[in-house]
Amino acid sequence: MARIAGVNIPTGKRVPIALTYITGIGHTSAKAICEELKIEPSRRVNELSDQEVIQIREHIDANYTVEGDLRRDVQMNVKRLMDLGCYRGLRHRRNLPVRGQRTHTNARTRKGPAKAIAGKKK
Amino acid sequence: MSRSVWKGPFVDSYVLKKAEAARESGRNDVIKIWSRRSTILPQFVGLTFGVYNGQKHIPVNITEDMIGQKFGEYSPTRTYYGHAADKKAKRK
Repeated sequence: MARIAGVNIPTGKRVPIALTYITGIGHTSAKAICEELKIEPSRRVNELSDQEVIQIREHIDANYTVEGDLRRDVQMNVKRLMDLGCYRGLRHRRNLPVRGQRTHTNARTRKGPAKAIAGKKK
Repeated sequence: MSRSVWKGPFVDSYVLKKAEAARESGRNDVIKIWSRRSTILPQFVGLTFGVYNGQKHIPVNITEDMIGQKFGEYSPTRTYYGHAADKKAKRK
Protein backbone atom coordinates (compact mmCIF):
# COMPACT_ATOMS: atom_id res chain seq x y z
CA MET A 1 0.00 0.00 0.00
CA ALA A 2 1.37 3.36 -0.98
CA ARG A 3 -0.55 6.56 -0.57
CA ILE A 4 0.68 9.36 -2.79
CA ALA A 5 -0.99 12.73 -3.27
CA GLY A 6 -3.94 12.03 -1.00
CA VAL A 7 -6.18 9.20 -2.06
CA ASN A 8 -4.30 7.28 -4.73
CA ILE A 9 -3.17 3.77 -3.83
CA PRO A 10 -1.70 2.18 -6.96
CA THR A 11 0.34 -0.92 -6.13
CA GLY A 12 1.83 -3.99 -7.82
CA LYS A 13 2.42 -2.09 -11.04
CA ARG A 14 5.64 -0.56 -12.40
CA VAL A 15 6.34 2.82 -10.85
CA PRO A 16 5.84 5.07 -13.94
CA ILE A 17 2.55 3.30 -14.73
CA ALA A 18 1.29 3.41 -11.15
CA LEU A 19 1.95 7.14 -10.93
CA THR A 20 -0.35 7.82 -13.89
CA TYR A 21 -3.27 6.75 -11.67
CA ILE A 22 -2.94 10.18 -10.09
CA THR A 23 -5.01 12.82 -11.87
CA GLY A 24 -2.60 15.30 -13.39
CA ILE A 25 0.31 12.86 -13.79
CA GLY A 26 0.58 11.31 -17.25
CA HIS A 27 3.24 9.13 -18.79
CA THR A 28 5.59 12.03 -19.48
CA SER A 29 5.58 13.52 -16.00
CA ALA A 30 5.63 10.03 -14.42
CA LYS A 31 8.80 9.21 -16.34
CA ALA A 32 10.29 12.58 -15.43
CA ILE A 33 9.64 11.92 -11.72
CA CYS A 34 11.38 8.54 -11.88
CA GLU A 35 14.37 10.07 -13.62
CA GLU A 36 14.60 12.94 -11.17
CA LEU A 37 14.55 10.64 -8.14
CA LYS A 38 16.81 7.97 -9.73
CA ILE A 39 14.19 5.22 -9.50
CA GLU A 40 14.49 2.42 -12.07
CA PRO A 41 11.34 2.46 -14.26
CA SER A 42 11.24 -1.36 -14.19
CA ARG A 43 10.72 -1.49 -10.42
CA ARG A 44 7.29 -1.99 -8.95
CA VAL A 45 5.54 0.07 -6.30
CA ASN A 46 5.60 -2.68 -3.66
CA GLU A 47 9.40 -2.97 -4.10
CA LEU A 48 9.91 0.68 -3.13
CA SER A 49 11.27 1.51 0.29
CA ASP A 50 9.29 3.84 2.58
CA GLN A 51 12.03 6.38 2.07
CA GLU A 52 11.47 6.39 -1.70
CA VAL A 53 7.69 6.65 -1.37
CA ILE A 54 8.13 9.69 0.83
CA GLN A 55 10.55 11.15 -1.72
CA ILE A 56 8.01 10.71 -4.52
CA ARG A 57 5.25 12.23 -2.40
CA GLU A 58 7.30 15.29 -1.57
CA HIS A 59 8.48 15.71 -5.16
CA ILE A 60 4.88 15.68 -6.46
CA ASP A 61 3.64 18.03 -3.73
CA ALA A 62 6.37 20.51 -4.60
CA ASN A 63 6.27 20.43 -8.40
CA TYR A 64 2.87 19.30 -9.69
CA THR A 65 -0.76 20.36 -9.47
CA VAL A 66 -2.73 17.15 -8.95
CA GLU A 67 -6.11 15.67 -7.99
CA GLY A 68 -8.58 18.07 -6.36
CA ASP A 69 -6.44 21.15 -6.88
CA LEU A 70 -6.10 20.42 -10.59
CA ARG A 71 -9.80 19.70 -11.00
CA ARG A 72 -10.64 22.95 -9.24
CA ASP A 73 -8.21 24.87 -11.48
CA VAL A 74 -9.81 23.47 -14.62
CA GLN A 75 -13.28 24.20 -13.33
CA MET A 76 -12.31 27.77 -12.45
CA ASN A 77 -10.96 28.31 -15.97
CA VAL A 78 -14.19 27.06 -17.51
CA LYS A 79 -16.26 29.18 -15.12
CA ARG A 80 -14.21 32.26 -16.01
CA LEU A 81 -14.99 31.74 -19.70
CA MET A 82 -18.69 31.26 -18.94
CA ASP A 83 -18.88 34.44 -16.87
CA LEU A 84 -17.14 36.51 -19.54
CA GLY A 85 -19.89 35.97 -22.09
CA CYS A 86 -17.39 35.18 -24.83
CA TYR A 87 -17.92 32.62 -27.56
CA ARG A 88 -15.97 29.88 -25.81
CA GLY A 89 -18.04 30.45 -22.68
CA LEU A 90 -21.28 30.16 -24.61
CA ARG A 91 -20.15 26.83 -26.05
CA HIS A 92 -19.33 25.56 -22.56
CA ARG A 93 -22.77 26.65 -21.32
CA ARG A 94 -24.48 24.78 -24.13
CA ASN A 95 -22.25 21.71 -23.69
CA LEU A 96 -21.15 21.88 -27.31
CA PRO A 97 -17.63 21.59 -28.77
CA VAL A 98 -15.59 24.68 -27.93
CA ARG A 99 -12.87 24.63 -30.57
CA GLY A 100 -14.77 24.98 -33.80
CA GLN A 101 -15.47 21.31 -34.54
CA ARG A 102 -18.48 20.36 -36.66
CA THR A 103 -21.73 19.61 -34.88
CA HIS A 104 -23.86 18.59 -37.88
CA THR A 105 -22.71 15.05 -37.16
CA ASN A 106 -20.45 13.62 -34.47
CA ALA A 107 -19.56 15.78 -31.42
CA ARG A 108 -21.05 12.96 -29.33
CA THR A 109 -18.49 13.34 -26.56
CA ARG A 110 -19.89 16.75 -25.68
CA LYS A 111 -23.50 16.21 -26.69
CA GLY A 112 -23.93 12.82 -25.01
CA PRO A 113 -25.76 9.83 -26.47
CA ALA A 114 -27.87 10.52 -29.56
CA LYS A 115 -31.52 11.33 -28.93
CA ALA A 116 -34.05 9.96 -31.41
CA ILE A 117 -36.10 12.65 -33.13
CA ALA A 118 -39.76 11.70 -33.62
CA GLY A 119 -41.01 11.70 -37.20
CA LYS A 120 -37.69 12.44 -38.84
CA LYS A 121 -37.67 9.60 -41.40
CA LYS A 122 -40.36 9.31 -44.08
CA MET B 1 -1.08 28.06 -35.11
CA SER B 2 -0.88 31.22 -33.06
CA ARG B 3 0.37 34.55 -34.33
CA SER B 4 4.10 35.42 -34.22
CA VAL B 5 4.99 37.54 -31.20
CA TRP B 6 7.29 39.87 -33.17
CA LYS B 7 4.33 41.16 -35.17
CA GLY B 8 2.55 42.40 -32.07
CA PRO B 9 -1.21 42.18 -31.60
CA PHE B 10 -3.39 43.00 -34.59
CA VAL B 11 -5.77 45.96 -34.21
CA ASP B 12 -7.46 47.90 -36.99
CA SER B 13 -6.09 51.45 -36.79
CA TYR B 14 -9.51 53.12 -36.73
CA VAL B 15 -10.36 51.24 -33.53
CA LEU B 16 -7.26 52.68 -31.85
CA LYS B 17 -8.17 56.19 -33.03
CA LYS B 18 -11.76 55.92 -31.81
CA ALA B 19 -10.69 54.53 -28.44
CA GLU B 20 -8.14 57.30 -28.00
CA ALA B 21 -10.75 59.97 -28.81
CA ALA B 22 -13.25 58.41 -26.41
CA ARG B 23 -10.80 58.38 -23.55
CA GLU B 24 -9.78 61.99 -24.10
CA SER B 25 -13.39 63.19 -24.22
CA GLY B 26 -13.98 61.27 -21.00
CA ARG B 27 -17.54 60.34 -21.86
CA ASN B 28 -18.37 56.66 -21.85
CA ASP B 29 -20.41 56.41 -25.02
CA VAL B 30 -20.71 53.19 -26.95
CA ILE B 31 -17.95 53.14 -29.55
CA LYS B 32 -19.36 51.54 -32.68
CA ILE B 33 -16.88 49.27 -34.41
CA TRP B 34 -17.12 46.79 -37.22
CA SER B 35 -13.71 45.27 -36.65
CA ARG B 36 -14.49 41.95 -35.00
CA ARG B 37 -11.00 40.75 -35.89
CA SER B 38 -9.16 43.26 -33.70
CA THR B 39 -7.43 42.17 -30.52
CA ILE B 40 -8.60 43.66 -27.23
CA LEU B 41 -5.72 45.71 -25.81
CA PRO B 42 -5.10 46.73 -22.18
CA GLN B 43 -5.88 50.38 -22.97
CA PHE B 44 -9.44 49.43 -23.97
CA VAL B 45 -10.35 48.29 -20.44
CA GLY B 46 -13.31 50.24 -19.05
CA LEU B 47 -14.57 51.41 -22.43
CA THR B 48 -17.76 50.15 -24.00
CA PHE B 49 -17.66 49.02 -27.61
CA GLY B 50 -20.59 48.28 -29.86
CA VAL B 51 -19.32 45.28 -31.76
CA TYR B 52 -21.14 44.64 -35.05
CA ASN B 53 -22.54 41.14 -35.48
CA GLY B 54 -23.74 41.58 -39.06
CA GLN B 55 -27.07 43.04 -37.97
CA LYS B 56 -26.54 45.41 -35.09
CA HIS B 57 -23.90 46.63 -32.64
CA ILE B 58 -23.78 44.57 -29.45
CA PRO B 59 -22.56 46.66 -26.49
CA VAL B 60 -19.56 45.04 -24.80
CA ASN B 61 -18.06 46.40 -21.61
CA ILE B 62 -14.36 45.58 -21.71
CA THR B 63 -12.91 44.08 -18.53
CA GLU B 64 -9.39 42.99 -17.68
CA ASP B 65 -10.10 39.31 -18.33
CA MET B 66 -10.93 40.02 -21.97
CA ILE B 67 -7.45 41.29 -22.90
CA GLY B 68 -5.84 39.30 -25.68
CA GLN B 69 -9.08 37.97 -27.10
CA LYS B 70 -10.88 39.32 -30.17
CA PHE B 71 -13.89 41.64 -30.19
CA GLY B 72 -15.82 39.16 -32.31
CA GLU B 73 -15.86 36.63 -29.49
CA TYR B 74 -18.26 38.85 -27.55
CA SER B 75 -20.79 39.46 -30.27
CA PRO B 76 -22.45 36.23 -31.43
CA THR B 77 -23.43 36.19 -35.10
CA ARG B 78 -25.97 33.39 -35.00
CA THR B 79 -29.27 33.09 -33.20
CA TYR B 80 -30.51 29.62 -32.42
CA TYR B 81 -33.89 28.99 -30.87
CA GLY B 82 -33.79 25.19 -30.99
CA HIS B 83 -35.42 22.82 -33.43
CA ALA B 84 -39.12 22.85 -34.25
CA ALA B 85 -39.28 19.07 -33.75
CA ASP B 86 -38.00 19.37 -30.19
CA LYS B 87 -40.72 21.86 -29.31
CA LYS B 88 -43.45 19.64 -30.75
CA ALA B 89 -42.18 16.70 -28.72
CA LYS B 90 -42.26 18.77 -25.54
CA ARG B 91 -45.85 19.95 -26.08
CA LYS B 92 -47.21 16.39 -26.11
